[in-house]
Amino acid sequence: MVNWQLIAKILGFLLFIEAGLMMLCQVVCWLYGEGIHAFIPPIAAALLLGIVGVIVGRKAGKKMGRKDGYIIVSIVWVLFTLIGMFPFLLDGHVSDVASAFFETMSGFTSTGATIIDDLDSMPKGLLFWRSLTQWIGGIGIVFFTIAILPAFGMGEVKLFAAEATGPLHDKVHPRISMAARWIGGVYVMLTILCVAALMLCGMNAFDATNYALCTTATGGYGTHSALLGDYYNSPAIEYVLIFFMFVSGINYTLIYYTILKGKLKKFFADAELRAYLIIVLGASLICTVSLALGDPMYDVEASVRHSLFTVISLQTTTGLATVDYTLWPVQLMPVLLFVMFAGACSGSTCGGFKCVRLSIIYRVLKNEFTHILHPRAITPVRMNGNIVPNSIVQTLLGFVALFVCSLFLGAFVLALSGVDPNDVHPNFDYYEAFGIAMSSISNVGPGMGYYGPVHSWAILSPLAKYVCSFLMLIGRLEIFPIMLLFTRSFWKKG
Amino acid sequence: MKIVIAGAGAVGTHLARMLSNDHQDVVLIDADENKLLRWGNELDIMTLVRQPTSVNGMRDVEVNHADLFIAVTPNESENLACAMLAKQLGARQTVARVDNYEYMKPENIELFKKMGIESLIYPELLAAEDIMTSSRYSWVRQMWEFNNGELLLLSVKMHDAHPIYEKEISNKNNQLVGHTLKEIGVTYGHNFHVVAIKRDGETICPHGDEQILPRDLVFFMTTKENLTEIRHLTGKDDYPAVKNSLLIGGGKLSVRACWKLETIHDSVKIIEPDKKRTEELQSLVSPKTMILEGEGYDVDLLNDEGYGSTEALIALTDNDQQNILACVAARRRGIHKTIAQVENLDYFDMANDLDIGTIINKKMIAASHIYRMLLKGDVDNVKMLTIGNADVAEFVVKAGSQVTKKKVMDLRFPRGVNIGGMSREGKSMLVNGSTQLQAGDKVVVFCIDNTLRKLDKFFK
Repeated sequence: MVNWQLIAKILGFLLFIEAGLMMLCQVVCWLYGEGIHAFIPPIAAALLLGIVGVIVGRKAGKKMGRKDGYIIVSIVWVLFTLIGMFPFLLDGHVSDVASAFFETMSGFTSTGATIIDDLDSMPKGLLFWRSLTQWIGGIGIVFFTIAILPAFGMGEVKLFAAEATGPLHDKVHPRISMAARWIGGVYVMLTILCVAALMLCGMNAFDATNYALCTTATGGYGTHSALLGDYYNSPAIEYVLIFFMFVSGINYTLIYYTILKGKLKKFFADAELRAYLIIVLGASLICTVSLALGDPMYDVEASVRHSLFTVISLQTTTGLATVDYTLWPVQLMPVLLFVMFAGACSGSTCGGFKCVRLSIIYRVLKNEFTHILHPRAITPVRMNGNIVPNSIVQTLLGFVALFVCSLFLGAFVLALSGVDPNDVHPNFDYYEAFGIAMSSISNVGPGMGYYGPVHSWAILSPLAKYVCSFLMLIGRLEIFPIMLLFTRSFWKKG
Repeated sequence: MKIVIAGAGAVGTHLARMLSNDHQDVVLIDADENKLLRWGNELDIMTLVRQPTSVNGMRDVEVNHADLFIAVTPNESENLACAMLAKQLGARQTVARVDNYEYMKPENIELFKKMGIESLIYPELLAAEDIMTSSRYSWVRQMWEFNNGELLLLSVKMHDAHPIYEKEISNKNNQLVGHTLKEIGVTYGHNFHVVAIKRDGETICPHGDEQILPRDLVFFMTTKENLTEIRHLTGKDDYPAVKNSLLIGGGKLSVRACWKLETIHDSVKIIEPDKKRTEELQSLVSPKTMILEGEGYDVDLLNDEGYGSTEALIALTDNDQQNILACVAARRRGIHKTIAQVENLDYFDMANDLDIGTIINKKMIAASHIYRMLLKGDVDNVKMLTIGNADVAEFVVKAGSQVTKKKVMDLRFPRGVNIGGMSREGKSMLVNGSTQLQAGDKVVVFCIDNTLRKLDKFFK
């Protein structure tokens, strides 16, 4: 049975958190003397709904079923987006609901695709809200809540299971709330280091904070519409961002063990990290060679820097850009699409398919070949020396199927919904639709063709924006939790 | 507190559940991955696939930071070995489950302490104690004594004849059923307290408007002299006293139970099918106990030796189904007191529905016992009821503690807490809302749903 009262209560608590976050942005508005009060009505709404939820759930039993966890996690991401879009609408920088919903969902899922053409004229409070949604969404709304609320005390395990990414979960502490605090500590530390590093490279405090929030969240929102390379033209900033994007793509549990427990050996022996490194280095190498040889614009250092930046930015699904990679030699497009699909490590803030799954698939394939030659050999799949149970390999298979189906279906609907024919870019190419779908489901940000890092996605039709939002949501929660709600057996009694 | 549990069997997982609900940091280890798989996703604990006797495995779980190491694998020597290992590696306290009565003897405690094992638990011995407390009176389900037996906590079933029993068990004389607790309080004064009611598998902490229904299991707190009044009010005057008991199955548990029962009953009989085992039994139990060779389902034998002449039937074979059926059959023949060993937790509710008086589950008893040992730091005497998720604790009121400052009704205890009785200067009495507690009083508190921990601040 679904325990609706408990769900209402927990959602109520979560809404208080969102109200608190928006309050922070309102304070930023006041600090910068921007006469904007766009956050006040949504804060009031969140508080009101939160109180209603807590009152409805005041008599709720403490027992949380597996279903309840999935329902809460699915609802909370949509609910946060619905309330979080009001500042954009009320302030008037975004005129229609579809766009505001898209922008906020892109924030919370740490995708980074935007429909705002001119960021530089946006009020600072709103820019900070965009960055903050990414930072919270990057680590996970529920995860964030478990980490900061000391006495949450209600079915954390189930909530955690519904939101955590990747097929294998490693705990750093016996209790989830403590584990969340440690991992959250790593996250905060990375963010602070990133702010400091960016400021040392000459960014002002506000930009540094925003870029740091969006980088460690592997989100990709920024405070300027222009490309990073054009706006700052500072290799130092780019190298700093390369480093922090790369680190944010590593499994935080692994970072925790390396930094706090000094297990450096474990770090480099990790199978997923190796796969991540191989893909990053391989793809960067291909890009570097292609650019250095094929494009007179780039010298060797620039080729290396831009290749690394673009590959890491796309693979960690951050989506920041120094140059417009859509203008690169055409043979690099499949490479970039692949890294967008691959994503970085599970247990990090990135999206995409995740290296651990690729690594498992590689091992399954290797076993298959062994099996053809040695039909009677017992060949378990091993990751880091532990045997991966067959059930996990099976789930992985299901995930691949769902991922591919969602991708193609998404691209199909996007191509069908089209763009406004009177707009600047009236034609919608199939590879653009595909790029948008891939970018959305992998939570990257920029896509292919016109929809690359230079232009916003403002010209998409409202339907296309909703489709993209949905793809981002299922991509962020790794498809199963959302799809589960659409199955009949989920709602059947018993 | 960090607690490492070795062995993800029934005891280990039951403990892990209780401790994680108590917000302890629990690490559960087992060599078998399949046993752990389910629990990592269900409980807020860390699970690790490690051989408990492996030194490297122990280092991986950082046993040196553990405040308590609990070894409850099915294998006794493995438990002893890994508990010693854990102690040497720096665990603060160690507990190991054993299968050997000899180890439990008081003179051997020092020996095991020297080896690095602070406490041993022997589930059979604990189960035997449970069997004894519940087979004293035929009309009482279970009884616990406080203050040298002056203060009693007992559970009594408000019977309605169960449809499967031919011989109707009369309910006519029960004068409590259908009345609210308020009415009962007015009519019968303050001779006893209803501290809890177990209804449909749930334990509730009743307030004044709660009605007693047929088939409820009611927990009374009373003093020794009022015992007969409760018996009368619940309509159990015609229940015979338990003088003779019959045990089915001659396993280890039966032997331990027999030792205890010999002290309170006139005669004890054991039915055991295996001839070789009957010979062994002869040297294990005192001559007072009669050993019968035969099957527990042999109706002729039971008619001859059992049904007419015994008041309590205790089925302790290794076969759950046989135990349950033996008890059902005995109930149909009018034996009021039945006790069955049920090791499969899935049968638990069913056995309860069939109105088997007491269900003995060694694993649950063992887990509860260890949990109790942890609580003992805070309270003086904790008894854990295996039926229902309830704890009964005895607190000594300290001078200056919160409870001495107000009357009981103004103390604002958490929900699910009920003070039953107390003893002051050796005299036992019941506690009601207007009682003022004093320093030095010994209070018996009934707590439902892990509320026990919240009581600390009231008594300190």
